Amino acid sequence: MSTSRSKNVIRAEGLTKRYGNTLALDGLNLEIGTGEVYGFLGPNGAGKTTTIRLLLGLHRPTSGRASLFDLDAWRAPVAAHRRVAYVAGEPFLWPALTGAETFEYLARLHGGADVAYRGTLVERFKLDADKRVRALSKGNRQKVQLIAALASRADLLILDEPTSGLDPLMEVAFRESVHEAKERGQTVFLSSHILSEVEALCDRVGILSAGRLVDEGTLAELRHLSASTVEVTFEGAAPQLPELDGVRLAPVGENALRFEVGGSLRPLLAILAKQPVVAMTSREPSLEEIFLHHYDHSSDGRS
Amino acid sequence: MDAARALARRSFADGRVRNLSFAVLFALIALVQAVGYEHTYPTVAERLQFARSFGENKAIRLFYGVPHDLVHVGGYVAWRVGGTLSIFAAVWGLFAAVRALRSEEDAGRQELVLAGILSRRGAFRAALAGVAAGAALLWLATWLGLLAGSLAPGPSAYLALAVVSVCVVFAAVGALVCQLAPTRRLALGWGMVVFAVALTLRIVADTAGSMEWLRWASPLGWAEEMRPFTGAQSAVLLLPAAATALLLLVSSRIAERRDVGTGVFSSSDTAAPRLRLLSSPTALALRSERGTLTGWLVGVGVFAVIVGLLADTFNSANVSQSLREQLHRLGGASLVTPSGALGFYFLIFAFVISLFACAQLSAARHEESESRLETLFSLPVSRRAWLGGRLALAAATALVLSLVAGVLAWAGAVSQGTDAALPDLLEAGLNCMPPTLLFLGASTLAFALAPRATAGIAYGLVSVAFCWYLFGALLGAPAWTLDLSPFQHVGLVPAQSMKLPEALAMLTIGAASTAAGLLIFERRDMIGA
Repeated sequence: MSTSRSKNVIRAEGLTKRYGNTLALDGLNLEIGTGEVYGFLGPNGAGKTTTIRLLLGLHRPTSGRASLFDLDAWRAPVAAHRRVAYVAGEPFLWPALTGAETFEYLARLHGGADVAYRGTLVERFKLDADKRVRALSKGNRQKVQLIAALASRADLLILDEPTSGLDPLMEVAFRESVHEAKERGQTVFLSSHILSEVEALCDRVGILSAGRLVDEGTLAELRHLSASTVEVTFEGAAPQLPELDGVRLAPVGENALRFEVGGSLRPLLAILAKQPVVAMTSREPSLEEIFLHHYDHSSDGRS
Repeated sequence: MDAARALARRSFADGRVRNLSFAVLFALIALVQAVGYEHTYPTVAERLQFARSFGENKAIRLFYGVPHDLVHVGGYVAWRVGGTLSIFAAVWGLFAAVRALRSEEDAGRQELVLAGILSRRGAFRAALAGVAAGAALLWLATWLGLLAGSLAPGPSAYLALAVVSVCVVFAAVGALVCQLAPTRRLALGWGMVVFAVALTLRIVADTAGSMEWLRWASPLGWAEEMRPFTGAQSAVLLLPAAATALLLLVSSRIAERRDVGTGVFSSSDTAAPRLRLLSSPTALALRSERGTLTGWLVGVGVFAVIVGLLADTFNSANVSQSLREQLHRLGGASLVTPSGALGFYFLIFAFVISLFACAQLSAARHEESESRLETLFSLPVSRRAWLGGRLALAAATALVLSLVAGVLAWAGAVSQGTDAALPDLLEAGLNCMPPTLLFLGASTLAFALAPRATAGIAYGLVSVAFCWYLFGALLGAPAWTLDLSPFQHVGLVPAQSMKLPEALAMLTIGAASTAAGLLIFERRDMIGA
């Protein structure tokens, strides 16, 4: 659905990064278009932050290339960054500055900010902007970064686990703000652990595992590729059924079975039609199940 | 108790590079002074002449204190080694204590320690035990250095103890300011103020004849009054012991009571926004470093005034030509005239301002290790603009320091009727810039190539180069190895004229390494702590 977008905001081609003997990122390809909200998922150490460092030109790719707005991320970072705002996973700010001073400093370096919107955000996130950064908790420092990034109205927001440290109320405020950004046509690259957040916000999702993109697509596409779960209750004891391609079977109780179905449901339904079925439920996989599915498959490779 | 031991061991291991560098420095200085004296003044006649002409010289007392016996090697070594090393020891003690007690805490790691089985008192003691182990290492190194210089074991151990007593007292001062100040930086700043006051008191006591009693007000003076090799007064040891015990008792009491991460005097955590100096990273660097810069300015200024005031006390009347040559070999250059003395002291300013350049790169590295550069370089800020701005700020501040030294030394000198011209002393100040910019370039290159080792390489290069200049000749090293030290190529303005070709060479090398450093920095990954 989004592959037809004309303009590439983020583009990575064969992006690879090696730190000594560790291969942190292995041939990553990404294409993210204007206005998209892209969720970037992966377990700890999968290479999410490395990807962001390469996109921002903080680290140099071992091979391949990354570009933002068709500007090379390593060679032309300053031009690209005029249109980018970044929220780091750990809030690294200047401890002696207050929140308000930090906003001013970051806005001047960025070349301006939407001051009225910043006021709205300070209210929304309930931040005391007169407090020095060193006296703020991690969550509150995170708010400082988030507000500064959102108020910059940059064309691209790169958010690295932006809600780690935020309480559930602030999580709501965050989602509201991302929706606003999306409505304005801003592109959002959201690296996250919080699957419900990604499910709620993102148009498209990429799953990174051990430095490789193992799955990518809209949520509907990912669900289609993954197994749906069918639970069937029988009259009396569960019958012995023939094995089917792409169907995994697990007994649930005396007279019930659970099927994990990889492709079409039709062959299973054909068999079940001849059985004394009392009740049947079917549901699509959650993002968590999709994620865990990939995670299980990759976790034996690297820790 | 295992937890306490582990913490003490970590506290010691944290400072191992600094501890080892200081230990080597202490041992070498102890050795070199003993060997150098025997070598330069082999006969009693020469020693008497040296004592007559220099024993009373105030400008020399400024650094080394009051000599009690200059005819025997022990007395000479006690004077020179005790005088210089007690200054180093004070700085070491202060930094080591603040590092052990406050850096961890400001980084938030102390909460982890206290969340474990250690009590506040236990953690405090364990951290200081690591510092004490470092002090013991310094004592051992000094003693071994003196032994290698063929001095008697007993008095040598006592001299080493006098030196280390200063570092123990200042470690205790460090422990106290860590409890009082709201942040690590301020703790260090307040500690440095205490040190500056102690040093000034000792200098006044040793140079202004009528105020000798002031020596008893300074831990640096106590070390002098212990009089190693010249009629030891070991009862004086009670003073540093009592002061240390008192300071540690008070600190420990406060450490048990105060909140982790703040001091007794907490700074206000809220403030109305002040929007000055936020327009660029360079402006912010000036804003956040202005306390430190003021400290450097005041420190250099005060010593420039003192040097100027005392320049007059050099008198060439009773110094023979042969002694002058020997003095030259001792690294004292032509200390026998006011302008010769000023020339030598301005070389020390060149050393100090070079250290200032190192401190600037060390601060730049701190921005990177705290990962703030990731925040900065995700903005439309180029690496070249950031580092270039910082270097320009460092060079400009170094220039201000140099000129302030020149002007204030001139003011001090003319106030005593010493014959000194302002242009000459401004030139002496400016003459500090070539080595400073050379070391600024070298430090930049270190920061680009080996970011984690920036401070070690930068301070190491400057210190080794300066010590080699001072002591290399005493050890009879070949001339070409002496020439490796940039300080060898600094003209002793105002006694000599500026060595222009050498200055230009230093500036060229400095500029080239700065440029190379900038290019490499633009091409490397950001590297965290």
